[in-house]
Amino acid sequence: MKTPGGIVWIASFPKSGSTWFRIFLSNLTAGENGPADINNLDERGGIASSREGFEAVTMLDSGLLTCDDIDNLRPRVYAAIAGDTTEQRWFKVHDAYTLTPNGEPMFSSCGARAAVYLVRDPRDVAVSLAYHSNTTIDHAIKFLNSTDAALCRERKGMPPQLRQKLHCWTGHVSSWLDQTDLPIHTLRYEDLLADPIACFSAALRFAERPATPAEIERAMYNAEFTKLQRQEEEKGFAERMSRTAPFFRSGGAGGWRDKLTAEQIARIEGMHAPMMQRLGYELSLVPRSATANDQMTAL
Amino acid sequence: MHSYIISGLHVSSELELSGAIPGDAHAPIDVSIRRSVVPMTLDGATASGPTWEMAGEIFLLRVPRLARFGITAGRDIAVEVEPGVTERDAACFVLGTAFGILLHQRGALVLHGAAVAKGSRAIAICGPNGAGKSTLVAALCRDGCSFITDDICAVGLDKHRQPMVLPDGKHLKLWKESIEWLDLADRQVEAVRTSLEKYYIDPSDVRGQPSPLSAIYVLCEPRPSRKAGINAVALPDAMQMLDYESYRPAFRVKIGRKPEMLAHAAATLGHAKVFMLVRPRGFEHLQETVMALRAHWDSLER
Repeated sequence: MKTPGGIVWIASFPKSGSTWFRIFLSNLTAGENGPADINNLDERGGIASSREGFEAVTMLDSGLLTCDDIDNLRPRVYAAIAGDTTEQRWFKVHDAYTLTPNGEPMFSSCGARAAVYLVRDPRDVAVSLAYHSNTTIDHAIKFLNSTDAALCRERKGMPPQLRQKLHCWTGHVSSWLDQTDLPIHTLRYEDLLADPIACFSAALRFAERPATPAEIERAMYNAEFTKLQRQEEEKGFAERMSRTAPFFRSGGAGGWRDKLTAEQIARIEGMHAPMMQRLGYELSLVPRSATANDQMTAL
Repeated sequence: MHSYIISGLHVSSELELSGAIPGDAHAPIDVSIRRSVVPMTLDGATASGPTWEMAGEIFLLRVPRLARFGITAGRDIAVEVEPGVTERDAACFVLGTAFGILLHQRGALVLHGAAVAKGSRAIAICGPNGAGKSTLVAALCRDGCSFITDDICAVGLDKHRQPMVLPDGKHLKLWKESIEWLDLADRQVEAVRTSLEKYYIDPSDVRGQPSPLSAIYVLCEPRPSRKAGINAVALPDAMQMLDYESYRPAFRVKIGRKPEMLAHAAATLGHAKVFMLVRPRGFEHLQETVMALRAHWDSLER
C-alpha cells in the first residue's frame, strides 16, 4: 500500500510528548538501521516554526520581517514543502490552530492532510515545563493559563524559532480539536505511556502510513525512554531548552501529585476543568474560577 | 545617482543605500540598482517559491507589504516599493537577499557569514541566522578588530588565486539586546526597518578593502559529544561545510552554478582552513569566546 502524500502535523502544547512521537517515527523510518540518532531525527519533516526552514523556502531573512508578515507567509511555505515531494511528511507544531493576520488558516490551506494531536494532563505539563524552562512552577502555571501565551515572541533579539501563538492550554487544545478543516486523531500522552504499541499503531493507521507489527515493535524498542536517556547522556540533545537539566527526565504520568501544592492544582483546574474533564482527566479539587493574575502573564 | 562598492563590485544606484561603502562615480559600473516597475510574476518561470520566481537569468523576489525586486544576470537590480513604504525600509533587502542572489548569478563564492580583520589578515564567521555572528563580530570590533562584512561574505580570488574577503558595507546590524549588552548605544545609527528593534551600528573601524582570508570559523553549540573549543575540519568535510554555509544554498543549486562554486571553494581552502568554533550561547560567554578566538587566530598567524 502506498502512503498518501502531504503533511501530517504532530500538534501539541509544549511538553506533551511530541518529541517522543517524532523519535518513534524516526525509528520506524530507520528500521533495521536503528536506533535513530536523537540529534539527527529523520521524521521527514521537522518543526513548523523552524527559522532555517522558512528562510530556505522564502530566500528571505526572517530577522528583517515582522512576526505578522512571517505568519502570512507560513501557509505558502508549508504548501511549497508539501508540493516538493509526493512523500508523506510529518511536522511537529506547537502553534495553536490559528488564522494568519490575513485570515487564512495557518495549517490547513497548505497541502496538509491530517493532524495527530498529542495532549497531556496540564498538571504534568506545568511541572515538566517548569523543569525544562528553568523556571518556577508558578511561572509555568501562569504560562498555561495565559490566553495569549506564545513561544519565541521576543523582538529585542532574534529567538531561535519563529513566533508561535499558543493561547492558554485549554485554548490550544480546543483550537485543534474543534477545528473542522483537517481530520484529527487525538492521542493522550498517558494512554501512549500505558500502551505505546496500540497507540502508535492507531496513529499510523489514521495517517494511512503502512507498518507491520514487527516494524512498530522494533521502532518502539529503540525509542524506549531509558535508551533515549542514555543517548542524551552520551551525546546530548540539540532540542534541549535547559542548559543544565536533561530533556528526557522522567517522562511519567501523574508526577504532579508530588510536585504541586493544593493552591497550584486549584489554579490549573480552576482554569481548565471543562477541557480536562472532556479529555478524561480526573479533577482533584472542586473547580473554581482562575484568578485574574493567571490570565495576565506569559513566560 | 549614488555610487558604492559592494562585495568588490562597482554599483550605481538610484536608491540611497545608507550602509554601503561609497564608491568611485567614474569607475566602470558592474551593477545597476534602479527604480522600475517590477511584475508580480514572471512569464515562463522554471522554478518558484512562495516569495520568488526564476525564469532564465531573471530572479523575481517579492517581500510582502514592502517591495519587489527583479535581479537580472548578475548586473541589474530593479526595485519597486509598495505604496506607503520608504525606500530606506527596502534597502536592507537590496543589500541582503537581492545582492546575495546577484552574487550567485555571477558565480561568486558567497558565504552566509560575517568577517573581521586584524593586521593584514581576515577571518570569516559562519552560521545560520540567529547563531550570533553579528554579535560576535561586534564584540571582536570592540576588542580592536576591523569590520569587513556582517551577513553576506563574498570571497574573491586575487591574481594569485589567494582568497580575499570582500566588504559588503560599513555598518553591522544588531538587535537591541545585543546593543544593550555590548553597550553600543552611542554607535547606533538608525533602525534597519522602522518596525524592528534591529539597528545599524557604526563599528568605528571599517576595512573597506579586500583582505586575505586566513580562516573560516563555523559557529556551533557544545554537547556532551562535542566539547567547547576550536577544532580543525578535515578537507573533504570542509568542502561540504562551505557548501552548507553558503548564502541561500538552495538558490545556488537551482541556478546550476554549483561546479563553479566548488572550484572556487577548493581554491579558497588551499589558503584558508575551516574550524568548528564550539562555544556556549549567551551573552555571558561572549567575552571568553572572543578571547579563545583571538588566541586561536594569533596562533595561525605565527
